[in-house]
Amino acid sequence: MDITIAIVEDEQHCTDRILAFLKPYSEKINTICFSSVDDAKDGLEQIHPDIVFLDVMIGGKTGFDLLSQLSFSDFCLIFTTSYEQYALDAFRFSAIDYLLKPIDREDFEKAIEKAFDQIGQRQLKERIDVLLSHLSQTPTTKKISLPSKDGFIFLAIEDILRCEADINYTHIFTLDGKKHTVSKTLKYFEGLLSDFGFFRIHNSHLINLKCVNGYSKSGYVTLINNLVLEISVRRKEAFSKAIGGFLQS
Amino acid sequence: MINCLILNFAFYFFGLILQGIPSDSDSLKLKKDHLDLADTLILDKRNDFIKQSLFTNSSDSTLLEMALETLAFSEYLGYQKGALMANERLGLIYQYRFSNPYIALDYYLQALSISESNPAVREFKWGIQGNIGTIYYEQEEYEKGLEIFKEVASNSRKLELTAILNIGNIYGSLQKNDSAIFYFEKALEYEQIKSNPVQLANLYSNLSLIYVQSNQLENALETAERSLALVDSLEIDFVKPTAYANSAMAFLENGDLNKAEQMALMSLEYSQKQENLFIQKSAWGTLADIYEARGKYKESLDAYKNFATLKDSLTNQNRRVEVSRKQMAFDFEKERAQARVDIERQKLVRNFTLGLAILIGLILLIGGYLYKRRRDSLAKIKDAEFKTLVSETELKALRSQMNPHFIFNSLNSIGDYILKNDSDSAQDYLSKFGKLIRIVLENSGQEEITLREDVEFLELYLQIESKRQPHRFSYSIRFAENIDLDAILVPPMLLQPFIENAIWHAFPENGERGRIEISFEVKGENLLCIVEDNGIGRAKSSNSIGKKSMGVAITENRIKILNEKSGTQGSLQIIDKTLDSGTKVEIMLPLHLAY
Repeated sequence: MDITIAIVEDEQHCTDRILAFLKPYSEKINTICFSSVDDAKDGLEQIHPDIVFLDVMIGGKTGFDLLSQLSFSDFCLIFTTSYEQYALDAFRFSAIDYLLKPIDREDFEKAIEKAFDQIGQRQLKERIDVLLSHLSQTPTTKKISLPSKDGFIFLAIEDILRCEADINYTHIFTLDGKKHTVSKTLKYFEGLLSDFGFFRIHNSHLINLKCVNGYSKSGYVTLINNLVLEISVRRKEAFSKAIGGFLQS
Repeated sequence: MINCLILNFAFYFFGLILQGIPSDSDSLKLKKDHLDLADTLILDKRNDFIKQSLFTNSSDSTLLEMALETLAFSEYLGYQKGALMANERLGLIYQYRFSNPYIALDYYLQALSISESNPAVREFKWGIQGNIGTIYYEQEEYEKGLEIFKEVASNSRKLELTAILNIGNIYGSLQKNDSAIFYFEKALEYEQIKSNPVQLANLYSNLSLIYVQSNQLENALETAERSLALVDSLEIDFVKPTAYANSAMAFLENGDLNKAEQMALMSLEYSQKQENLFIQKSAWGTLADIYEARGKYKESLDAYKNFATLKDSLTNQNRRVEVSRKQMAFDFEKERAQARVDIERQKLVRNFTLGLAILIGLILLIGGYLYKRRRDSLAKIKDAEFKTLVSETELKALRSQMNPHFIFNSLNSIGDYILKNDSDSAQDYLSKFGKLIRIVLENSGQEEITLREDVEFLELYLQIESKRQPHRFSYSIRFAENIDLDAILVPPMLLQPFIENAIWHAFPENGERGRIEISFEVKGENLLCIVEDNGIGRAKSSNSIGKKSMGVAITENRIKILNEKSGTQGSLQIIDKTLDSGTKVEIMLPLHLAY
């Protein structure tokens, strides 16, 4: 069975580059290219591709506009972008793949292999919802998509109690007492969640400041589930500042 | 006997001066307009004249006026002795002439206060005290009187005799006849009394009364007659009423009723003439006894009625005096208390005001100090914050300078690569550089990144550059065991310029394959970063002629500012390896940990 790959891209040299990278797989794939959102919408509805490479800026419109118009979502989505920092965070939250232009060959190969693997387990609809919610200006309950062994887990960020580092893995503990393990570093989550009231108190602890019950000057913080965690010496000052600012807002 | 009369007349505290005193008052006239200091002599004489007249002719009504005038003149002249004497004379006049001890006491106290406030006239104090004593005596406050007289007797030799006489009187009044007789007889031994017929007459008169009281009737008669002899022969009017009254008692007790009646009537006559109610009262009482003894009951009753009337009026007067005295004492006490309260209050107010002022002063001082300290510390904090801001801005500017610097050098690399390779691999090369520039942009926005992030960047950079010149150099990055890549924080891109220098300048084309060694190590409180190459060294390299690499200059400045900002001792050393070839760059940074 051939795999259909759609490329939505308004710059020809970018399209060419992706096509060049796909050449080694030509035996098992069909490719189709679109250069505008409107063309792509109609075309995609017709062909139902398995994998879509989608640019963020397409003419005057965005790939997000296209996504929100699509009636189906059982495909594998890979964004391509130059330098839209705001979008990068949204991609990370929704665990949607992206490639930075100019696209590095090794990065592309990793992404396409992963896409081939994931054709069976998509849950793209939910991930697109997460993506769009992070891009939206209106305040909504922000979620995060966590890739797991069996697909994706979606958590409301405010339901996360804390994250704990376990070498290259991170355990995420939620308010209902569940634990999810993700193969990303704690630093990765620190980068994503610090804008949502999370604070790294320790080399291996990232906590939700909303869930702090109290803290002692001697360097311990108590969470609402009565868990006591140590604040590392070098983080104490920054922590009191952060919790002070957090309580004020 | 219905009346037991006690008629001890007080002894005046002034002996009479019989010579040098004019017999009439005309020569002592003074006009206020023409007063001068020489007139103090005349004032003295006036005082002497008043006293003399008081005792010889006590009914002279001009004396009061004269005494008042003398007082006024003395005060006008500021003549203390004159004022003191005049006050004393006025006291005498009121005491003996008007039977008004209250006003008399007032004048005595005036005189006393003058004498006490003025050392020159202090000697007169005892005389005045003596007069006050006689008032106590007359007011029957014997204890007080006794006290004063004893004091006078022991302090003033001149007045010792008079004081003793008065002590005798008081004992007589207290019915302690033996003591009274003892003191009177002691008084008779004094030389002074022999030259003072008034006193002597008085003494005999009083002694006779005491003898009557102690029933030594013969002695009583004898002394009574002695007093009469003196009074009559010397015409001592002043003592006459008393002497007559006392001798009347002596005659009465001895049964000589005629003589007694005669004496009593004469006493009455003189005492009426002198308007002395005390003696009148006594005379009436004695007369009542005499008439009773004679069987003249009607006359006795009349006499008794007079006696009773006078007694009542005197008692009233006494009571009035008593009331006035008490009022006076009360007023005085009240005033003193008031004054004391005033003083206390003023003291309190003063203390309070002072305390308040001190308190306010202290508060202001402390407040000022605290304000200043706070202002200083705020200024310090602000200053420090400002400095930090400045250095952060400077650092940021320097980091930002790294971006175009890096991009231009990258363009050089890319151009170089494109010249040597096909367009496909040039594309790949370009995308790698794109990745690198992205990292540079991201890192340069941050003050510090983890050592892992910086090393990842360096590794990518070295990878890309070694791909461009595959046989030019090899590289290695080594970490000492005490390096925790995720915990150590470093300013981004501090080492890159030195690596770049080595890549571009250390190894000549077609030369031997060079080597770049990068290592990290924790040394005490510092992180030691070393970039070492085995190239041709700075001296020979084309870049080093007179100019420094832009990136190296920026890094030097960054380390300097970092030191200023956090007071640390970061350092940069570029060592030319003269024995080996090549260059060694050592960067020492204060160890900064994330957690």
